[in-house]
Amino acid sequence: MTPIEVSIVLAGVLILLVMIGVRVAFATGFIGFLGLFLIFYLDRGQDAGRAFAVSLQIAGQIPHSKMSTYVLGLIPTFILIGYLAYYAGLTQALFEAAKRWIAWLPGGLGLSTVFATAGFAAVSGASVATSAVFARIAIPEMLKLNYDKRFAAGVVAAGGTLASLIPPSAILVIYAIITESSVGQLLLAGFIPGAVSALIYGALVILLARMRSDLGPPVGGFSLAERLQVLPGALPILFVVFIIIFCIYGGWGTPTEAGALGAFVVLVMALWRGMGWDNLKGALIESAKLSAMILTMIWGVLIYVRYLGFADLPGAFSDWITSLEQPPILTLLCILGAYVVLGMFMDAIGMLILTLPITFPAVIALNGGPAVSAADSALGMSGDQVAVWFGIIVVKMAELCLITPPIGLNCYVVAGVARERHGITVQDVFRGASPFFIADVVTVAVLIAFPGIVLWLPSLVIG
Amino acid sequence: MAEATVPEDDSIVSRADRALYRVEQGFALIAGLTILAVMLVSVANILGRKLGEWANDAGLDGIAAWLGPVPGFVDWMEQAVPLIAFLAIAYCQRLGGHIRMDLLVGQLRGRALYVAEWLGTLFILVLVLVLIWGSWTHFGRSFDWNAPMYSRDSSIDIGLPLWPVKLLVPVMLAFMALRLGLQLWAYTAAIRDNPEHGVGVPRIESAAEQAEHEAETLHEIGAGEAR
Repeated sequence: MTPIEVSIVLAGVLILLVMIGVRVAFATGFIGFLGLFLIFYLDRGQDAGRAFAVSLQIAGQIPHSKMSTYVLGLIPTFILIGYLAYYAGLTQALFEAAKRWIAWLPGGLGLSTVFATAGFAAVSGASVATSAVFARIAIPEMLKLNYDKRFAAGVVAAGGTLASLIPPSAILVIYAIITESSVGQLLLAGFIPGAVSALIYGALVILLARMRSDLGPPVGGFSLAERLQVLPGALPILFVVFIIIFCIYGGWGTPTEAGALGAFVVLVMALWRGMGWDNLKGALIESAKLSAMILTMIWGVLIYVRYLGFADLPGAFSDWITSLEQPPILTLLCILGAYVVLGMFMDAIGMLILTLPITFPAVIALNGGPAVSAADSALGMSGDQVAVWFGIIVVKMAELCLITPPIGLNCYVVAGVARERHGITVQDVFRGASPFFIADVVTVAVLIAFPGIVLWLPSLVIG
Repeated sequence: MAEATVPEDDSIVSRADRALYRVEQGFALIAGLTILAVMLVSVANILGRKLGEWANDAGLDGIAAWLGPVPGFVDWMEQAVPLIAFLAIAYCQRLGGHIRMDLLVGQLRGRALYVAEWLGTLFILVLVLVLIWGSWTHFGRSFDWNAPMYSRDSSIDIGLPLWPVKLLVPVMLAFMALRLGLQLWAYTAAIRDNPEHGVGVPRIESAAEQAEHEAETLHEIGAGEAR
């Protein structure tokens, strides 16, 4: 068998291992090591002992050498911000602030929920957890004012999906590391699409409220003093988002330093709100667990990536993709379609880690290669630009799958919180979230049609 | 905080599980404190550098001399990330925290489930054993009894020896192997006794159960928030 054939078989075995429930990080590492061994044994004609020793040496250094990377320090920091944000009392403060400032508009409390969840999701970076928190805070208030219960649940489930694009975003950092793209540019690029998604959700709520009078009343009558009073509690959120944008944009510091500054502010806020050692310890251990999970996946997949480099499967796949007799944009849409299907069954991070080593080089090749200029490219973007743009699109797609059946986790979590108290079923939540799903599809289409929305902010930094 | 449901009883395997878990919790806490340290050192670095620049521009040389970036900042950060990656790896495995797709396995019940889990765990154990060996030789190439600081290689900026962190990798993977061995043992016991939920290993939760679990955790946090 040729190395390519072996690698296709191994890719099949990898999928099988993942399907039967082997943990993704180790399934990729296992196949990577096995592949390295087979390459040296079958293709390079070494005896089994020698092939084993060589692959042992290559695979054995990856966990340490790939983890000794400065930029990876961002991931634990971003995760810590998320856990501390709960203790800093940011959730209630945000909702209250959003309520007093914008709930006078049609669909008022729904609108407040959209922006409060967007803000908190951005900082916590955890879509599912955000939906769980706001299911407790926002749904009871909406139901008290006779808001439609499906709508109330749907808004909360959908709002949580705004976590991944607005900085700080751990998933964009993971994308940057796997694809060796610029972390700073990806973090900047996420901001406008994330904000646009939130605005589109907001517009959708207003539209729904106009069309259906039974949706729920606006809430108004807050004085200016009452409005100003709630602002200080919500400010740390804006601070964290903007410190990261400005640090990278203004070149003041690295993304890692910016993330640390954000985490520091939230920590001070949480301590000021009376967080004790037990809570801090809990937040630290939880952050350590989640960081270990993500970092393990990264080194696991990098063993696989090292093998793929030897076998040149990504190269072969790219050759095949570029040889297809159809417009590149159509091929790209097919790849994105595959992500939608995969996302219905898999967690976002796992899905990206498993697929990016093969799809990313293919997309780059589809556009005309890593060094192509915007003028000569198939998609109208330079190699670096398409790397950033594709990252934003796939992350948005992965988030979108959090509100689709059968395992849209955000919907389950909202139903989990609200079922007993308010009689809201999973079906209610899926139905309530469906208009937002359609809005997201439109958003993705817009981002594909107008890549400038994604690329404008990072382009200012490159000059 | 969030604890995956790992059923317990008085059996030896369950007691061994809890004993190992206490050690793993200790390592996880050190990993957490490392994250805190990374954050504080990064803040000190950016503030020190920026304030130093401003003091310099303002002609406050006395103050500027005191301020500045943290010496060897990038070197320290590069040493810290592997600590975070490996110290909590077994803790994460104990709680079933490493991502997987349990759509198919989640459908299984009883012995079929335990056999599937046993096989999945064995795959991980094989890889981890290979990597203990490989990362140990990686450490071996760095460590030298006769070299200054026992080290053949060092970090670029301030010359930190690299072997301590390289050694950490096989050591923590050995704890991971211990955890996996224990899980194999627990699944073997479960295959033999066929209980509803195997002792000493994480229970598989459906999406709805996970969601409820998440909600409970956050409820506890919410209570903390209200204080």
